[in-house]
Amino acid sequence: MITHQDSMHILLVDDDEDDRAFFSEAIQELKMNNKLTLLKDGNDLMDYLILPEIKLPHVLFLDLNMPGKTGIECLKEIRADTRFKDVSIAIYSTSSSEKDIEDTFIGGANIYIKKPNDFSKLKKVIKEVVNMNWQFHTSGLNIETFFFSV
Amino acid sequence: MKILGLYKNSQVFKIALAIAILVVCFIGSVFYSQMKKLDATVALIANSNKTQLELEKLLSVISVYETNLRSYIITKDESYIQDRFLSRGKIEESIQNLKELTANDTLANNDINRLQILIENRFKLFRQTLLIAKSKNAVPLDLNEKLLESSHVTQVMKAFVTKIIFSESAKTKFQNDNHQFELRDSIITAFLLVLISLLILWLSFNKMNVDIAELKKANDKLKLLNESYNTAEMTANLGHWMVNLTSDTYSFSDNLFRLMGVAPNAFEPNLENSVKYIHPDDVEQVTKLHMDSLVNRQYTSTIFRYLTAKGELKYIMGVGSFTKNGAGDLIKIGVNYDITSQYKKTLELEKNNKELQYINKELEAFNNIVSHDLQEPLRKIQMFISRLEEKEFEVLSMQGKDYFSKVRATANRMQNLLIDLVDYSRTIKGDKVFSDTDLNAVLNEIMHDLSTNIEEKKAVVNVGNLPIIKAIPFQIKQLFINLISNALKYSKEGTHPEINISSLTITEKEMQDYKISNKEDYYKIVVSDNGIGFKQEYAEKIFLLFKRLETDAKYSGTGLGLAICSRIVDNHKGFIKVKGEPGVGAEFYIFIPKGDLL
Repeated sequence: MITHQDSMHILLVDDDEDDRAFFSEAIQELKMNNKLTLLKDGNDLMDYLILPEIKLPHVLFLDLNMPGKTGIECLKEIRADTRFKDVSIAIYSTSSSEKDIEDTFIGGANIYIKKPNDFSKLKKVIKEVVNMNWQFHTSGLNIETFFFSV
Repeated sequence: MKILGLYKNSQVFKIALAIAILVVCFIGSVFYSQMKKLDATVALIANSNKTQLELEKLLSVISVYETNLRSYIITKDESYIQDRFLSRGKIEESIQNLKELTANDTLANNDINRLQILIENRFKLFRQTLLIAKSKNAVPLDLNEKLLESSHVTQVMKAFVTKIIFSESAKTKFQNDNHQFELRDSIITAFLLVLISLLILWLSFNKMNVDIAELKKANDKLKLLNESYNTAEMTANLGHWMVNLTSDTYSFSDNLFRLMGVAPNAFEPNLENSVKYIHPDDVEQVTKLHMDSLVNRQYTSTIFRYLTAKGELKYIMGVGSFTKNGAGDLIKIGVNYDITSQYKKTLELEKNNKELQYINKELEAFNNIVSHDLQEPLRKIQMFISRLEEKEFEVLSMQGKDYFSKVRATANRMQNLLIDLVDYSRTIKGDKVFSDTDLNAVLNEIMHDLSTNIEEKKAVVNVGNLPIIKAIPFQIKQLFINLISNALKYSKEGTHPEINISSLTITEKEMQDYKISNKEDYYKIVVSDNGIGFKQEYAEKIFLLFKRLETDAKYSGTGLGLAICSRIVDNHKGFIKVKGEPGVGAEFYIFIPKGDLL
């Protein structure tokens, strides 16, 4: 059982370097005492997750549109593996198309975040999502609450 | 009318004719027997007359003899009693005649026999008298006695002959009376015969006339039918053919020949001749289908091509089926339609359809570019702008700050434009799934979604009681979001925006203006504001794509919002109207058909 502790592990998978930088800066500015791991694509993610020495992330921010293994494929693989059942997955994408939202909802993601176009909003989103009561959120999950709006 | 009806019934007429002929035959036979009888009577009368004549002749001959004898006795002149005196040739002849004439009448025959005896007797006396007269030593007394006796015998004979003549005459009279009577009968019979014959003739003639008229009428009808059929075939571009499977004979309609590009009856209709006009590539297929059908008697349908002598290519739809004619022969009837124009149209349509599909795919790809690929860099630009604003804004000069805010505003405007473009394209394609949509719930959601915006503008939004309509939920939501956003955007400076949304009944004038036959056919939802309004002359234009009325920078429209509204209402088979007054506000009227019209 993952609890909300100071040493919360956050993992971001995004092929866009700038977006990884924004994310990292936001975490820094939020002064959250989190462990942040940044990965650049789906293959890296799947390789990373099976490393024996790592600590599984509490929250995985997953971009959808990536070269190699896409976010959706990663989502399906992770949700098919019981070892990762406690990992909360937040989809983190530019797209807000109904199809992507529905597919990831069905695929077992916990929340869908549309990448904000304002840095302050980004900080707000990260703060809220990281501090989210996942148990509460997941128990009342439906397609309306799935899409996170700031 | 009834008689005419009977006329038309051939069966009745046949029976009547048969009866009439029987009657004529009967009357004819009666007439014949009457004529025969009449003939017999006439013969009898003639016979009787002849008998009388012969008797008279006989008497006169005897009288001549007597006179001659007397003359001889007085004059002793031999010339009176020459050879003919003793010759009885004439008498014998007359007797013979009389016997023949009375051969059928025994009574008269007896009389003649008696007469013959009397004549014999008389001639005996003649001879005796003549002998006495010739004798030189004749006694005048004897002669006188003989003459007296002769005179007496003559008297008796005359009396007898007169009696016979009388009886014959009586007989003639009776026969004559009979004859008259029979003649009258015969005349009546003959008249009847003529009358009935005339009647039959008249009836037959009439019947014939009626039949001919009917035949002519039927013929005319058939002719007309044939003509109209020919015309119909020409108009419809089709021809038909028949093959009698028993006699193996083909017949083609005029227009079938024309379809093959030749004049009607240009060649003898048969399979070999017609196959020449079929496109060489199709001959085998068509012939096989036809031949197979002759065996299995199945309905056929095929599309093939005619290649006419002029090189014209025609697409033909040919169908064939089987039936039996009046004589019980199996017939295959086929109809060939010229479907060239349809076929070409279909080809063209298919081509266009493919092009359209291609264009649609392109559009979709383009749409993806707009909605995702273009938004991605734009979002990053905005992120960097927000980073700059946070960290470096203060170090900029006044002009730098001004430029910077313009960059930010332009990036925002671009973002709005992209969002609107995506929204607009979503109204064009995509699933149009209609479901019962509670507008009250939709408006509640919108109030929530737009709450920040509403609060910012210090706007008042009044929502009346709205109906549940059959709609595409996300589109109808988009419609009201756009209208309310619009009202908020184009609000008057210094005035709190007031937006009213309500469901109203359709007025008589609207029914007239928008040709609504029943006010129950549509929902009418009104969205009104107290914003800057517009001139009524632009009422139609504002729904056009990228049509903007306000060019002032503070009104940051994309020119897509109302076009999206119009599109959505269109998708719901409804229509949207607007009334505007500069400085007063705008009223949008949305007419959405109730369930049944969709």
